[in-house]
Amino acid sequence: MTRSRHWPSLRTLIHLLVLRPLLRLLFGVSVEGRENLEGLGQFIVAANHNSHLDLPLLFGVLPVRAIAETRPVAARDYFERRAVLFQLVRYLFSPVWITRGGPTEDALAAMRDALDQGKNVIIFPEGTRGTPGEMRPFRSGVGRLAEAYRDVPVVPFFLHGPERALPKHSAVPLPIWNRVVIGPPRRFTAGCTDIAAALERMVRELSQSETAHRHRRVQRSGRCLTVAVLGIDGSGKSTLSRRICEELSKRNRVLRVSDELEFYHEGSCTTLRSLPSEKVRQALARYTKTAKSLKHYKIPKLAELLLRDHLLGEVRRWHAPEIAVMDGSPLINMTAWARLYKEELHDPKIAGAAIRVLSGRDENLHDSAESLLRVPELSVMRRLRITRLHLPDAVVMLDVDPAVSMERIRRRGERVQAHETEDKLARLREGYLMVCEVVRSEFATPIRVLEGNLDLDRLTSATLEFIAEIDRPEARHVQ
Amino acid sequence: MSLDAPSSAILIGFVVLSILLVLHKASRPRFPLDHYVPYVWAFFLVFNVAEFWSFEVAIWVLALLCFVSLKEFFTLVDIRWQDRWAVLGAYAAIPFTIYFIQIDWYGMFIISVPVYAFLVVPFLVALGGRETRGAVLSIGIIDFGLFLFVYCVGHLGYLALYSSWKALVVILGVIVSDLVATLVQSGRRPGLGRTSFRCLISIPLVAGLYWALADWTGIGTLHSVALGALTPILAAIGRYTIAYIESDLGVERESAVPGKGRIVDTLRSFVYVSPVAFHYVRYFEL
Repeated sequence: MTRSRHWPSLRTLIHLLVLRPLLRLLFGVSVEGRENLEGLGQFIVAANHNSHLDLPLLFGVLPVRAIAETRPVAARDYFERRAVLFQLVRYLFSPVWITRGGPTEDALAAMRDALDQGKNVIIFPEGTRGTPGEMRPFRSGVGRLAEAYRDVPVVPFFLHGPERALPKHSAVPLPIWNRVVIGPPRRFTAGCTDIAAALERMVRELSQSETAHRHRRVQRSGRCLTVAVLGIDGSGKSTLSRRICEELSKRNRVLRVSDELEFYHEGSCTTLRSLPSEKVRQALARYTKTAKSLKHYKIPKLAELLLRDHLLGEVRRWHAPEIAVMDGSPLINMTAWARLYKEELHDPKIAGAAIRVLSGRDENLHDSAESLLRVPELSVMRRLRITRLHLPDAVVMLDVDPAVSMERIRRRGERVQAHETEDKLARLREGYLMVCEVVRSEFATPIRVLEGNLDLDRLTSATLEFIAEIDRPEARHVQ
Repeated sequence: MSLDAPSSAILIGFVVLSILLVLHKASRPRFPLDHYVPYVWAFFLVFNVAEFWSFEVAIWVLALLCFVSLKEFFTLVDIRWQDRWAVLGAYAAIPFTIYFIQIDWYGMFIISVPVYAFLVVPFLVALGGRETRGAVLSIGIIDFGLFLFVYCVGHLGYLALYSSWKALVVILGVIVSDLVATLVQSGRRPGLGRTSFRCLISIPLVAGLYWALADWTGIGTLHSVALGALTPILAAIGRYTIAYIESDLGVERESAVPGKGRIVDTLRSFVYVSPVAFHYVRYFEL
């Protein structure tokens, strides 16, 4: 007779004596449908996933005997980033490790191994934590597993609370009560896609009954629509952005983020008093214009773009415009400008990865991803958490021949900057066009490429027409 | 060890409530007012600890009760992601407030929440994020929760500092008021007329109870009757007001469980009684 048949393991004791009391004291857990777990032998748990708190919470409601017999599915590439956390999770939960973005068959094989050993498996069919409070469509993996193990019942769980207590991007947990609703176990005979759809339906039903009476504050319409006007130097983007601001301001409160901050209302323009960060940005902008080479231009320009992006958040906060028109987009500019510095690496795949990292949409991008290995700067920015840049709601790209641009720059009579040569502007133009295509295809951002040689009136009317097409309430981002 | 009559009564009350608590866990279907038992038991636990062990320990058990009730309130309301620091700040106010009670620093206790916490919370909300929409509502929600479940309930702890029996008699008065309200209950939403009717029935009962226990509480007969008349009125106002708020928060009283309105619902009669009873006792130096 082995010890483990009668005595709980140290791991189980830690769950019972430390984790569960701590969860209950700090957060509070109420469970509905606990009886649905009674009398079950082996089972698969399918739960919604919004927080790192989901896992301890699920283990907190499992029957005591099931603690040692249950293995959750967890992303190895994510937890491996922090050695202590990795060891802790490995010891406490004994996960089935999978690699996100890796072959699906490998992940399924690891789960099958666990089920073959008689273990219960916890799976989060959404694949990732996603946006707090929103449930993503279930992937077919859970269906394939249930299809292969028809005798093992699948128990749907709905977790409500962890998305508020410890949402994605939050380091400090907030004491908020959590609710676990356990649905009736079910064995499936259908195909994998139907099983995944049925499970998603079941969890959504549990969620609807649970969240029906939640207190919600009244949402006001009128979010800020961000439009970026892009183009190489001398393409006329400043002139166009000023003109469309004047036109748009007849009906909206419009803010123009350019070298100056300008607020347009009822056709008239007011220059806003500079915010402290804006003064720093302007000083950096002045410095970049005097840089002697691209090498000296790089870091100050990067800092200037980051501050410009920060400024967008600040002006939205303090001036609440209905439309923000940006003379360039820091995120897109940064990605396009890589063409001048790392031309050999500048392809759509890397550009897509860069935008994902810099805009915080990189949950499925692991550290060993090829794009991150090839461009170490991206990994550095990720580590420094420079990952909250704004992706505009719409982009207008002014496509101008570099020769025409150079002619316009010379006519200004100002000092010619290090990158303002026909060759470099041609490469920049290619960079912008490629990045625009990436933004359109991968991020579904509306893009309108306009021929920059057209006269200003035609450009303005084409831009206004484009903005009118996309300016629907649902198109406006909340950031 | 021989116990005097008041101490014996507190102990017996605690033992009876403990038995009821066990029955509460075991019984199906449950008896009326069963949801009330764990929280009244918790209050009795606080006063037994204060009476037989240490006031310092008891006051920190009360802090835990404040934390649990505030946590439930924040679970019920719609707080924004960027209000997290302000909410954490509200939780951090609990140990400060309780510590001021423990060291009997009345002047600081009385302004800790309505002055300092109410100044800090808006600052933390402003620091929290870029989204300004709904900031005033967030500040109001956080301040309101802090005021009701830390400051108001905290007064009960300060009353216990003067005398465990003074605090306990207030709790007994609230229990009697709630019992009458439950037994006379008709319909789901309390109307003002029905609330007044229940209150009128409670007044002689609670006043009589306070008068009967006057020797143990050390409050004179006249003040016992006056406080006994005041308690059911304040309990009724608390019940009516919090029921109104619960309706907005989507709390369904019949099916409420801890985390979904049960604790807030149970404490609703206490939040108005505690500060007023405390200041009554303090003002008249009873």
